[in-house]
Amino acid sequence: MKTLLRFNFLKNRALIFSVLGFHAFVALLAPYLRLSSTDSQDSAALLQGPSLNHWLGTDSLGRDVFSRLLHGGRPSLVIAFAATAISCLIGIVIGSLAALAGGWIDEALSRVIDFMLALPTLILLLLISSFFGQDPLILSVALGLMYASPIARVARSATQTLLARDFIRVARLQGGSRISILFGEVLPNVWRVMFTEVAMQFTWILLAFSSLSFLGLGASPPTPEWGLMIAESRSYMTLNPLLVIAPIMMLASLVLAIQALVDHE
Amino acid sequence: MRRVVFSLATFIALAVVSFVGVDALPGDGCTALLGRFGTNAKIDACRQENNLNDSVVVRLKDWSGDLVRGDLGYSIKRDEQVSEIIIPRLRNTAVMAAVAALIAFPSAIVVGLLLGRYPRKRISKAVNQFSVIAMTLPEFVIATVLWLVLSIWIPIFPGVSVMPSNASLLQLLPNVWLPALTLAVVIFAHSMRTMRASVTNVQNMPFVESARLRGTNERKMISRHIVPAALPPVVNVVALDGAWLLTGTFVTEAAFNFQGLGRLAIDAISDRDTALILPIILFGLAVYLVSSILADSLVRVFDPRLRSNNR
Repeated sequence: MKTLLRFNFLKNRALIFSVLGFHAFVALLAPYLRLSSTDSQDSAALLQGPSLNHWLGTDSLGRDVFSRLLHGGRPSLVIAFAATAISCLIGIVIGSLAALAGGWIDEALSRVIDFMLALPTLILLLLISSFFGQDPLILSVALGLMYASPIARVARSATQTLLARDFIRVARLQGGSRISILFGEVLPNVWRVMFTEVAMQFTWILLAFSSLSFLGLGASPPTPEWGLMIAESRSYMTLNPLLVIAPIMMLASLVLAIQALVDHE
Repeated sequence: MRRVVFSLATFIALAVVSFVGVDALPGDGCTALLGRFGTNAKIDACRQENNLNDSVVVRLKDWSGDLVRGDLGYSIKRDEQVSEIIIPRLRNTAVMAAVAALIAFPSAIVVGLLLGRYPRKRISKAVNQFSVIAMTLPEFVIATVLWLVLSIWIPIFPGVSVMPSNASLLQLLPNVWLPALTLAVVIFAHSMRTMRASVTNVQNMPFVESARLRGTNERKMISRHIVPAALPPVVNVVALDGAWLLTGTFVTEAAFNFQGLGRLAIDAISDRDTALILPIILFGLAVYLVSSILADSLVRVFDPRLRSNNR
């Protein structure tokens, strides 16, 4: 127990990278792994414990938990990647543009960013998903737009510090236009500063989508998705606790590994 | 004062935007009531009866007039006054938030102080790791783990709450614990880390060094020098987390089927009951604006340096 307490899970690089590698491997290769089907229901074997046929047992519809578990990260990962890409694109361009332009443009864009930050994200997502259907495309775009404002804010301040540096002044004195400075000097440098912020955003978006699924408005059944799996199996926790423990471990290990990777405390 | 006026203007602007936005969503109270069995004729009749055919501007005027007079509106879907639906649930959420705040904030301040003061202790590092985990995991995971451990493996609390929304306080209390604990874990981690960072920051300041060289004992050091200087940023976070306790509880309430405002919001959204969604959004906005004003003025109370530029 003492060694366990002393062991710093969040600072052990080898552990972090092997967890991330495991998730990447599973997410990319799950469909090719000759697993049993994720939706075939075996009504003779409901809520069974672990066995040779079903390594982690079966859920309330007799579906193989192990197979669903390995497929369960894919929907959220795809959406999180798409939404993060959208939010980065919009956030970084708007943020650095605001800092670069200065004056009233900066003022106006900052107000828009502040306004977006004040919006109640989850309730808006629920509204969109409920009224426009649980379409992955719509959800990614909505998530991307909503999570663009924190990125824009960080990009704006990062660019502002950058603008005081000599090489930007040189580029200005050489007669570079604002647009060429934005793409040639600012963006390549801001990107590096932004990496931490973007990785954090990625986990927030992933978790937001999982929470939506948990509430029944993200991934729609019978898609295997961790949040949805937890929601579906909670009533059967007493019979087979693995049904909720397994997806929780997968989700937790993934987001904690990403957070630990970027957290330089 | 300027701040209050500005917030009020923001609130009105956002209220209008929300009304128009919610109005633009496909579906209204009548389609929500009649569902897929509604024929066009029936829906038209229902809209006629409830004045839904008026233009947006007219309805916005009626709605805001009612709002100013304290009438939150009427849910066609539930055939009930909105205020009668909201108030009991708001009370439930408020009780839950109060329990969570009472558990989390005092302990967060004490633990944060100890962690900032004695960062090298092994237990400090362990608590720190726990707080990172608690801050990263989503509420539905924390809720499910707490339920599994504290209700199924060690049966202390009831799991899913089975109570009417207008249950008496005595009926309510046993059902409050697990959702309140879930929220408490989240805000504990958050405010504890702020306190710790603030204490670490204050300790490196010259006045602490000078107090130490004067031979101030540990107790006086903490109570007179470190805590008063470390509190302002924490007060800010406490105010904002307090607002979150009232408005950000959808997932937690849904996880325990707790009959509060968050649960109601999700039901209203699933039912597409726009008349009920709108006041809930407005309540969230109001709490957010009030708490950010409160946060700033409380910081002013706790931090004398800021008082001079009080406008």
